[in-house]
Amino acid sequence: MKGHRIPESHVTHPNVTPLIDVVMCLIIFYMLVAKWGVATGADERIDLPVSFQGVKIMDMGNTVTLNVRAAFEMPVVTTLNPRTGMTEEVKLMDGQQRPLLKLLKYLRGQNENFKVIIRADQDLDYRFLEPVLVTCFEAKVKDVNFATREGSAKGS
Amino acid sequence: MKLKSAQKVHYDAGPNMTPLVDIVMVILIFLMLTGSFVVNEIFLRNNVALVKKGQSANVAPNVPLDEPLEIRVDSEGSENWVAQAGGYQVRNSREKLAALLTNMRKELNASGTTTEKIQVVLSPGRNTKYKHLVEVQQAALEAKLVKIAFSQAH
Repeated sequence: MKGHRIPESHVTHPNVTPLIDVVMCLIIFYMLVAKWGVATGADERIDLPVSFQGVKIMDMGNTVTLNVRAAFEMPVVTTLNPRTGMTEEVKLMDGQQRPLLKLLKYLRGQNENFKVIIRADQDLDYRFLEPVLVTCFEAKVKDVNFATREGSAKGS
Repeated sequence: MKLKSAQKVHYDAGPNMTPLVDIVMVILIFLMLTGSFVVNEIFLRNNVALVKKGQSANVAPNVPLDEPLEIRVDSEGSENWVAQAGGYQVRNSREKLAALLTNMRKELNASGTTTEKIQVVLSPGRNTKYKHLVEVQQAALEAKLVKIAFSQAH
């Protein structure tokens, strides 16, 4: 009697299982390290100074980020507009108005313990930073934090 | 006989993975193009935004005033800085400044002022670079001085 033979497998296409494994790992990696839905208004073009002594802020919900750049004699301050979700300029002085002071006072009225995060270029002169700090002082902001890049404690 | 072998049934085990691979590749390329990566950012904290000239950082009534420890900071070009505190001058060395501030803190502690009552006031010039202020602030933190604020430019 002639027995049944198991037919030989003729798979003509390549085995894609390792490819899927690798690609899935890459997707999981990107999903974990990418920022999702976090809009703080931080201007990523700003070259932050390096420090090793700073602390991490876990609760970014109580913060307002102010990006400070130099422009002629007055700084340009940008922050996140929660209505539009875009980073927009907030003027220090607008005629007789002081929009940044008004914004900080409003935020402080909402939450007395809110924090200000200042992001400034490492080569920025203090004269551009000072008006922003004066405005924070006038708005009675209690907690001012300076964003830095985490670095090593090598000697200066 | 040749015709018979060509007519063999083709057994393809498992599901067709091609659409899955297509979709996964599209997701991967999308993530690679649009994702912005988390940069390790840390924050240097000031307990008050600014200390105005001639004023103390704590102005609450019935609270003893903090002991001010002023550090004058100036930039000399874009890379060099000089800090002056307690009649001493330190150039471009965070470690030396931290040692100086540690000694000053110990002296204040010995005279009865607790570290929590020492208010470090960084007094920068108008053209002092922000990165140099960060260096000096780190030196103060290394010296275990935690209450740090900037003053108006000198």
